[in-house]
Amino acid sequence: MMSTLPLEHVDERLDEAAEIAGPWQTVVWNDPVNLMSYVTHVFREYFGYSRERAHALMLAVHHDGHAVVAEGAREQMELHAQAMHDYGLWATVRAATS
Amino acid sequence: MSGAAIGLLPIEAAQLAELITQFIELLADADTRADPALARLVPDAYRDDPAAAREFRRLTEADLLGRRVADAQAMRESLASVASRATDAGSSRRPVRLELDAAQSGAWMRTLAALRLVLASRLGIDDEDDHDDDPRFGVYDWLGYRLELLVQALDRD
Repeated sequence: MMSTLPLEHVDERLDEAAEIAGPWQTVVWNDPVNLMSYVTHVFREYFGYSRERAHALMLAVHHDGHAVVAEGAREQMELHAQAMHDYGLWATVRAATS
Repeated sequence: MSGAAIGLLPIEAAQLAELITQFIELLADADTRADPALARLVPDAYRDDPAAAREFRRLTEADLLGRRVADAQAMRESLASVASRATDAGSSRRPVRLELDAAQSGAWMRTLAALRLVLASRLGIDDEDDHDDDPRFGVYDWLGYRLELLVQALDRD
């Protein structure tokens, strides 16, 4: 379902994220309850990710058991984790090397 | 993503309001360590660092639970308008149209998702195919259906 992703739709925020990338990550973990459509919607709404990127992240969570949804300063990653908890998603913060 | 219009039967609104009342009561005597359903709503933010997880919880848990209550109350308020309008219209069998703004939509989504998490914990759902004959599974699936419809309505723009 990602086969028609045109290059020009690659989210500009990816570049922003790369610039501010720090040593910490927000990780979202798979759970058997949250709907795939809901998780995708949350990634779009909260992080402002494109539909394609949000969908790819949701699939990564679903198939790999977890996915890194943001990288940067620790305080910012903790704010993201709090926001994910508000949505009922299971999120943690970790050092990027672990 | 500005908001969403949804249709809701009065009986659905009544059931949602009942579930939300129970949910608010649950949050009120919150012992997040003793109740796995509540624990799921405020998970550890650090997997391998208990001290950091404790500190994060100390700083954020009360606020998070407070936002849960505020969301649930906001949803209950919009449900109350369904009940009154259904009475005015004299029909309980037709869906009532409800316009949710962005803030209300957010409150609905987060509360529907939280209600499912609580029910899943009570039902012991550990994987996606975990269903048995407990009638609460019907409620669980229905909440998922309502959430799915809301997400679709919000994603339409």
